[in-house]
Amino acid sequence: MGFSTRQIHAGVTPDPTTGSILTPIYQTTTYVQNSIDEYLQKGYSYSRSGNPTVKALEMKLADLEGGVACVAFGTGMAAVQGVMLAFLNAGDHAIISDVAYGGTYRLCTKVLSRFGIEFTFADTSKPEQVTAEIRKNTVLILTETPANPTMKTSDVAAISAIAKDHGLVHAVDNTFLTPYFQQVLELGADISIHSTTKYIDGHNATVGGAVISKSQEHHDKVAFIQNSTGSIMSPQVAWLTLQGCKTLSVRMDQQSANAMAIAEFLESHPKVEQVCYPGLKSFAQHELASTQASGYGAMLWFEVKGGLAAGKRLMDKVDLWSLAENLGSVESLITHPVTMTHADVEQAERQRVGIIDGLVRLSVGLEDVEDLIDALSQALELV
Amino acid sequence: MSRFYGFDTLSLHAGQTVDSEFGARATPIYQTTSYVFPDTDFAAATFNLERGGHVYSRITNPTVSVLEQRIAALEGGSAAVCTASGMAATFVAITAILQQGDHIVASTQMYGGNISLMKNTLPRFGITTTFVEPTDLQGFSAAMQDNTRLIYGELIGNPGLDILDLEAIGSIAADHQVPFMVDATFNTPYLCKCLDYGVNMTIHSVTKWMGGHGMAIGGVVVDGGNFDWGATDKYPTITTPYAPFSGMNIWEEFGPSAFATRIRCEAMRDFGATMAPMNAFLLLQGLETLSLRMDKHMSNTRELLKFLENHQQVAWVNHPDLASHSSHGMAKKYLPKGAGSIISFGVKGGRDAGKTFIENVELASHLANVGDAKTLIIHPATTTHSRIDAEALKAAGITQDMIRLSVGLEDVADIKADFEIGFRAAQKFADA
Repeated sequence: MGFSTRQIHAGVTPDPTTGSILTPIYQTTTYVQNSIDEYLQKGYSYSRSGNPTVKALEMKLADLEGGVACVAFGTGMAAVQGVMLAFLNAGDHAIISDVAYGGTYRLCTKVLSRFGIEFTFADTSKPEQVTAEIRKNTVLILTETPANPTMKTSDVAAISAIAKDHGLVHAVDNTFLTPYFQQVLELGADISIHSTTKYIDGHNATVGGAVISKSQEHHDKVAFIQNSTGSIMSPQVAWLTLQGCKTLSVRMDQQSANAMAIAEFLESHPKVEQVCYPGLKSFAQHELASTQASGYGAMLWFEVKGGLAAGKRLMDKVDLWSLAENLGSVESLITHPVTMTHADVEQAERQRVGIIDGLVRLSVGLEDVEDLIDALSQALELV
Repeated sequence: MSRFYGFDTLSLHAGQTVDSEFGARATPIYQTTSYVFPDTDFAAATFNLERGGHVYSRITNPTVSVLEQRIAALEGGSAAVCTASGMAATFVAITAILQQGDHIVASTQMYGGNISLMKNTLPRFGITTTFVEPTDLQGFSAAMQDNTRLIYGELIGNPGLDILDLEAIGSIAADHQVPFMVDATFNTPYLCKCLDYGVNMTIHSVTKWMGGHGMAIGGVVVDGGNFDWGATDKYPTITTPYAPFSGMNIWEEFGPSAFATRIRCEAMRDFGATMAPMNAFLLLQGLETLSLRMDKHMSNTRELLKFLENHQQVAWVNHPDLASHSSHGMAKKYLPKGAGSIISFGVKGGRDAGKTFIENVELASHLANVGDAKTLIIHPATTTHSRIDAEALKAAGITQDMIRLSVGLEDVADIKADFEIGFRAAQKFADA
């Protein structure tokens, strides 16, 4: 069945007791067992280990990504942490995209490093550099593509092949494009990671994460870590995410079309220094972005002539676009990564990977694109 | 599960069958609009009320049903219908049985919303009300007309806290073959099971003590199952064929739960004052501790009554548990565990003293709700009743110095200490 059918129906069957067309919110801690001999016969014992509402979302996301199973987490960062703890031990080494969400960078450099895990931040857009960084103790490669916030794109199939050759696990953060545009497991990755907070929910209603594995062995490791460390998704969040997810494909199509129009508008604007959107011909990796995914997504960035000062003025003045963290929602958001999402990445490292001070990140929403462009146009007048 | 279990057991278990699919211990939140039918015969039977089951969440919902059955069990009624608010409950209960040309006899001491409904709104639909002082039994008898179809009151009156003599008024209602409906919000079934004293149906704003945490708005109508609708021809909505359901006679089909069924078939279907499943879940959670909370509400109330009676800046204290209250005898009879956690009192120094007291207390929240876990206070003369003239204020039993207090569950020593701050600030008016 097609993606849109599956995004609505996968994982969800009418409640057998009442016929309720939607999965109930099982806001419960525990499950009554029929007898000791029948313990876990109905599948549930305690909601940290499993919950029927959360399970429905997990089954849906596993289906959409083409994996065997999914573990839903309390946040996207919990999902990233879940993957790292599932595969990395003290003394192990992981290779991470050198452009990634600032929280991922912080988790590696400031937290997991305390437990004897080593990380290398490599330019995963150049597969040979990934190969060059592999050590004897390397276990995991985590690729974020397109990367937050520069949109640097990495070749998932090429890196997966390298991982396979060296017996490594390849996990891809697929938050920016979602399985609707980018089937990372089909491209060869072992694991797909999501902040469901973003496009999968899509309505700024919940904070959540998910890890989808291609093999049962990998899934079991992630599920074990979650049950041990307890970073679970709540049933209420799972239920809201189940509803948001039903319109994923139509939202992605429209938000991407809006983003393309905005990118073209900005590219032709005299006050704009540069625009970076994978859908633009001027995007350095336009060809890879076009072959690896079926859409370009709704994230882009630009730099106003006049750099940081001009960019700040624009962000302070612009109407309709909310100055906020988060991305992927139906509401359009404007973000200054250097002071907001990537503030924990040291300046030197930011400069090295291209997160320039004047970078203005846009998460394009579902508003009428004319209104979004008008708002940017008026703000640019004031710069 | 039925009345054989004690109150606390019922408040935890009544109405819930543990989820058969997964055994979930808590009631699932059925946040859904509709229910898939296995086949068309099943669908038709459900629509026709030939079998129980859920069609559409405006009419019934499995989470809300648990709350309805639990409250019915706690009240000792035959059935209950939950609504989006307490006012919706009063409205649907009255309109289920009354129509144009009908008449209500009601107590004067009621929540302002109830008074307004009967005084201003229902007359637009040809339903009129005669108001009688709650303790004036003779007045209730005298107010009965040929077209009277309902007697309505609140067990603990608002704001005077006069107690209705349920048995006496119930027998007046029975003599006239009309039902007696009581808003039991202030007492909850824990303090008084009104249905045991000749009351035929109760109403609650579940928002208040039943839910208890100020989190969710909701109402309920409980059908006592103890009124003989077929004894007269006064209630055609229940005893004559109902066209929307193929001429079904609700009284013949549903007997003791006919009244609740009529509300379900008409008010929930056509008016749509539906309670949300999430609210039902939150209110169910609140109900689980109803008796514990009410005991603490009452012990804090008793302590504060002592404190206020002995305070030199308090001009007067009004509560039915005080021997000085005119309804004290009724309170002992109907409310032996305590006559509710609303106290009114006067601060020496009049209007300015009352206002200053309210503005200076810190722990007590200044707002218009009652029945929260937190202590709430309000100065009616400058807030809820600020727009009415002095004469109307007097008629409503509200004085310029009056403070209404909804006693919460805090450590009572902290409430007292907080009040001392208010009294110190109001001292200058007392001395003046």
